[in-house]
Order: sequence, then C-alpha cells, then structure tokens
Amino acid sequence: MATVANRAIKARPKATPDRIQENIRNSKVVVAEAIEDNDLLHIAETEELTVNDLPAGNISVPLNLWLESKSALQAREGITAVQVAADESPEEITEDLNDIDIIVLPFVAYIDGRSYSHAHKLRLRYGFKGQIRAVGDVHYDQLDFLTRCGCDAFELPDGDDHQAALQAFKEFSDVYQPAADAGRLVFARRRAVH
Amino acid sequence: MYKYDSIDKTIVTERVEQFRGQVKRHLDGDLSAVDLAPLRLRNGLYMQIHAHMLRVSIPYGLLNSEQMRALATVSRQYDRGYGHFTTRQNIQFNWPELADVPDILKDLAQVEMHAMQTSGNCIRNISSDQYAGVAPDEIIDPRPYCEIIRQWSTLHPEFYWLPRKFKIAVTGATTDRAAVQFHDIGLEVVHNDAGEIGFRVYVGGGLGRTPVIGSVIREFLPRDDILSYCEAILRVYNLHGRRDNKYKARIKILVKAMGIDAFRNEVDAEWAHFKDGELKLHKEDFDTMEAFFPAPAYEELDAGDARIEKWLSLDSRFVDWYNNNTAEHRQSGYRIVNVSLKEHGVAPGDATDEQMDALADIAEQYSFGEIRVTHEQNLVLADVREQDLLTVWKALDEHRLATPNIGSVNDMICCPGLDFCSLANATSIDIAKQINEKFDDFQELYDIGEVKLKMSGCMNACGHHHVGHIGILGVDKKGEQWYQLTVGGDASNNAALGTHLGPAIAKDDVSDAIDDILHVYKDQRNDDERLVDTFRRIGVEPFKTRVYAEAQ
Repeated sequence: MATVANRAIKARPKATPDRIQENIRNSKVVVAEAIEDNDLLHIAETEELTVNDLPAGNISVPLNLWLESKSALQAREGITAVQVAADESPEEITEDLNDIDIIVLPFVAYIDGRSYSHAHKLRLRYGFKGQIRAVGDVHYDQLDFLTRCGCDAFELPDGDDHQAALQAFKEFSDVYQPAADAGRLVFARRRAVH
Repeated sequence: MYKYDSIDKTIVTERVEQFRGQVKRHLDGDLSAVDLAPLRLRNGLYMQIHAHMLRVSIPYGLLNSEQMRALATVSRQYDRGYGHFTTRQNIQFNWPELADVPDILKDLAQVEMHAMQTSGNCIRNISSDQYAGVAPDEIIDPRPYCEIIRQWSTLHPEFYWLPRKFKIAVTGATTDRAAVQFHDIGLEVVHNDAGEIGFRVYVGGGLGRTPVIGSVIREFLPRDDILSYCEAILRVYNLHGRRDNKYKARIKILVKAMGIDAFRNEVDAEWAHFKDGELKLHKEDFDTMEAFFPAPAYEELDAGDARIEKWLSLDSRFVDWYNNNTAEHRQSGYRIVNVSLKEHGVAPGDATDEQMDALADIAEQYSFGEIRVTHEQNLVLADVREQDLLTVWKALDEHRLATPNIGSVNDMICCPGLDFCSLANATSIDIAKQINEKFDDFQELYDIGEVKLKMSGCMNACGHHHVGHIGILGVDKKGEQWYQLTVGGDASNNAALGTHLGPAIAKDDVSDAIDDILHVYKDQRNDDERLVDTFRRIGVEPFKTRVYAEAQ
C-alpha cells in the first residue's frame, strides 16, 4: 500500500506558492456564526517536512504529508485536519473523508476563487460531513459566499474585527441559485408557487 | 420586459446595503483602498484617471422610459449631466463621488436597476441582440434566456472570484448582432431537427490582447440544460484557468491550451455529475419568463404607409435619416428606429441628461415605453409606427439624436481612451473627432455604405478594433500616440479578425489613412460590395500600398 501512495506523491508538486508558507496560528475561529478560541495550528508545507517534525497539539497538515503518512497522522492524539490548497484537488482524498475531521482550505489571496469549487465538490459530490475551514487571506467580505459553498469555519487573521465580520452572515436573506447550502434555484421556487 | 418580484427586490436592496457598509468601512478606515478595490469593482465602481467611474448594468441592453429618466436624474444629481453608453450595452457615469454611490444605487434599485457584476473577475452583464423581438430575421427571442442566465449568474457564490472577467452573449437571429463568437460563452438559440429549442454553444471567444474566435463546444444543447452546462464550463474554468498572468487568464487561453476537444471532455465529465439536478429547467420556467416579453400591443397596419412616400419626396434630410437610421420591422406598419449617439463633436456613446429625458418621453409616446442600447453605442426605439416616423424624427432631431450616420464610417465604436481611462495608451475621442471632421460629407458616406469602424485606445480592445471592418488601435511609442490600423475584421456570423495594415500611423494622419482605404474600396468595389467584402476578395495589399505610398 505504502509504495503505491508514495509513487503518487512523487508526481505531486510540493511547497508551491499556493500552499501555506509559514505555520499559521490564529487565536480565534468563527464557527456557526460565533467566535470561539482556536487551538488548531496549520503546518506549512516544505520540501523536507516529515511526520517526525510535527509539534504536539492539534494541527492541520499539508495534503502531501497526509498522503505520505496517513496512519502515523491518524495515530496522533486529537483531531485529524488536512489542508487542500487551491492548486490541489479534493479528488485526492475522496477515499479518506471518513478519517478526516477538518478539511482546511488555505487562501493565499482571497481573489483566488478555486477553493470555492473545492468546498462545493467536497460537500455536494463527495458528501464530506466534517468541518471545512477557510484559513489565510479570509475576511468579512468572503464569509457569506464561502458559507454558501460549504465552508462552516473561518479563521480570520488576528488583526481583523471578528465581531464586525459576523454581520456578513446577515447581509443577504435570499439567493438566486443552489449551492452547497439550502439555497434553491429561483425558478424552482417560483415553479412551486404557480 | 422583466419585472422584479420580491426575491429580486430583496437581493438588489440587500446588495445596495452591503455595498453601503463596504464604503462606510473604507471611509471609517477599517477597509483599505486595496481591499476595497475588488469589492467596489464587483459593484461596477472603477477608479479612473480623474475620478471614480460607475458602470450601471442594463441587462441585455433593455430599458424602459422610467429607467431612462432615472439614469438622467443620476447624471444630473450626482454627475456632470451626461452618461456614456458602452459596448456591452451598459451605461457609465464618469464623475460620481464614492460617498454618493450607495445612494445612487439605492435610487436605481427603485427602478429595478443595479450595478452588480458590471466589472471585476466574475460573470458580467448578459448581452444580446438590440433588435430582439422585432427583427425580421429572428428565429427565437433571446431575452427570456438572457434573463434566466442573468438571475442564475447574479451573486453566484462559486464564480465570484474567477481568474478573469467572464462575458456571455445570446442571439436568436440569423444575423448575429451580439458578436457571440467573441464572448467567453456565446449562445445561439436554435431549433434542432425535431423542432426543439436549444443552443449552439461557443466557448473561448474574445478580443483583448489575444483576440480569438470562439469554438463550438456543443452544436445543440437542449434549453433545459443551459444553466447546468454553463455551471460545468465555469467550474472547469474556475479551477483550471491561469491565475499567474492576468493577460493569459481568460477562458480563451485555457481552451487554446487544452484544445477544444479536451476542454469539451473535461466539461462533459464535470457536467455528468449534476446535469439532471436542481439546475435543470422546466418548460414552465421558460413559459413564465417568456410571458415577460410579449409582443407589444401592435395595431393591425398595412406595410408601406403612403405618408412615408410623401415625406421622402419632400425632405432630403428625412430621406437620409430614414435610409440610414431606420430598419425593417417584423410587424407590418412598424419600423425600428436607431438613435444615433454619434453626433459630430460628441464622444461616441455619450448622451446628456436632457437627451435621456427626451428619449424617455419619445419612447413612451411612440415606442411602447422601451429603449434598447446597442453594442455599437447607439440606442434603439424598437417599435415605431411608420405613420409616426416624421414626428419621431423631428423630436429626435430637436435633441440632436437624429444624425443620419448609422452604419457609416462616422458611426464608430470608440472606447473612452486616454481622456478618461487609466489603462489607455492613446486618445480615442480626438481621433473620433478627426474622423468626423474629415468625413463630413454625408452623401459621400452613403456612397461608401456600411463600414464598421472600431477604435480602442489600448490593446485591451474595449472598442473592439479587431472586429472592425476598419480597426484602429492606439499605441504609445516613446510617449507619443500612434495608431495601428487593421482591415477586414467582422463581429457577425462570418467572424473574422482584422488584418494588420502595416506600421503604426501618426496621430494627425489617421483620418487620411482611412480616406486612402476608402478610396481603394471605391476604385475596386463590385456592385453591392461592402468594404469588408471587397477586402475579402482583393486582400490587404492594395490597401497597404495606398496607405503607405507617400511614406515610401
């Protein structure tokens, strides 16, 4: 088993600009429209990273490391969290979804919308029931659409006004199209009325 | 036309308040100018050379008189008394204050207008045929489909941060007046052999730095599947379009890189996952939407009103206007009236508040209260009774809206250029004036016939120069403005990119070069040949020889 996985890894690029460059530790996380304390540390991807380098405590690991060392990571204490970067794809972990508590979507720049499609697929196509957490360049004005696409936890950088950002969940009371939330196609709703 | 229901009203109103909050956070110092930029862009607000510019959406170019009056009011109250109609059938205001923009949008929401997604890397306004519903060559009215796509694409959460902007156009006529082969997705509404309605789908067309004619990705897509299929295309693009270089980020580059067949396979594989899901449309969805676009209450009239003949025999100015600015209507006794926004000395596409108000009145009285915007930066009164043409002409003429130059060299498409735009390398408006002055003999223009002259002030090609019968591109050469000419472009069914004529031409010589091109055409044309037809027959060389003769 291990050799098959390893061969697959060799073809995957490591430590691209789309991956987490330095470990991220934010003090707060927004879950279910409320601010909570956060203890999840996001480990940066480097060319040399191995499972032996990991610190104790709750961490999320780069996808490469997960694919390399699934069983070692699962044997660790605490939650299992795996990063899927914008240039990676959820298809790599569709077999593992039952073993993962949190999928972390790192945003290097909020104008890069690829991870919205990742979240959408994880929810609607692959039926992931765990938490999908947006991390990195994630702010007030992204929270609503990220939620619509299936994210349910958000780590805003410590400098952001978390309390103000909660307003993002209240800005729209209606939508035109289905997504990974309860939103429905507007024409289907009108159909039901007629 | 489409009327908002409570869902539309809620969304548009809440979008205004969301934007108000974003502007307030910026003015309070909680949101930097850099972080505000992508947010304001998604609501049509640019930063230009001198001021902000607000682009308001006119879905598929359709306005009613009330909306036109609201635009006039905005230009008077918040701007400098004019607006600029664009090549994507929208309107731009060049001088609003940032702090006023939420109020402008609130006023516009009262008349069911908005500025959502008129810029930014998201799905833009859906554009269409300005003669929709009235053209004799129309097979299917595209407007209901435009509106369905507009709603699906509005605030689509997954496709709000695309690699680059994304433009969709729809046509339903034999003659393509919407340039669908030059859009990210182009849709031609068609019947299949069984008489069912669907779309021929083009993908990956576009102008800009790398002009590309769209490829057919699907010959016949049943109309029920239009939203799911667009969603599949958008998802493939969102995931795989280039994000490392904004000049290579449009879908056309992805389609070229993958090849249309591989791209199609990828889209089909994506589509298979959800093709029969929630996005599938039902017949009643189309029926409901079509009911918003009924034929107006036409009177039963005979074609060829006798009064027209009389007027034509009496007034040569009316003759010129009738011949050039009106077009055949599918309903007998009616004509389509083109309102020229290409008055000599005025920036192409500009209209004053007074002109907008006047048009609203004229439309209300003579054209069922509707006005269309064309991608050639003119306006259209689509349903004028032949018996009213003289009155309508006089009313338009009184407001300088009857310049009889539609389709001529003087009816040029022109971007705002260096006078307004921070991207531009060269002025467009000065060149437009120079051309207007050079070609002020309208009888001469009528003899030359249809020439689509299109000008852009930089390679981003907002003025569609690649598809002009004559194209002009402004370039910067060591701080001086020069102009590259192309000949033989075509935005319609025989889509073609213009051929480069040769080295760039100095600013003062542009109209002389165009004169040379027109002389070659006049010398070499066969009967009934337009400039573009002559070019196709004789090639670029004779034009090149004449234009550069003096330089050699």
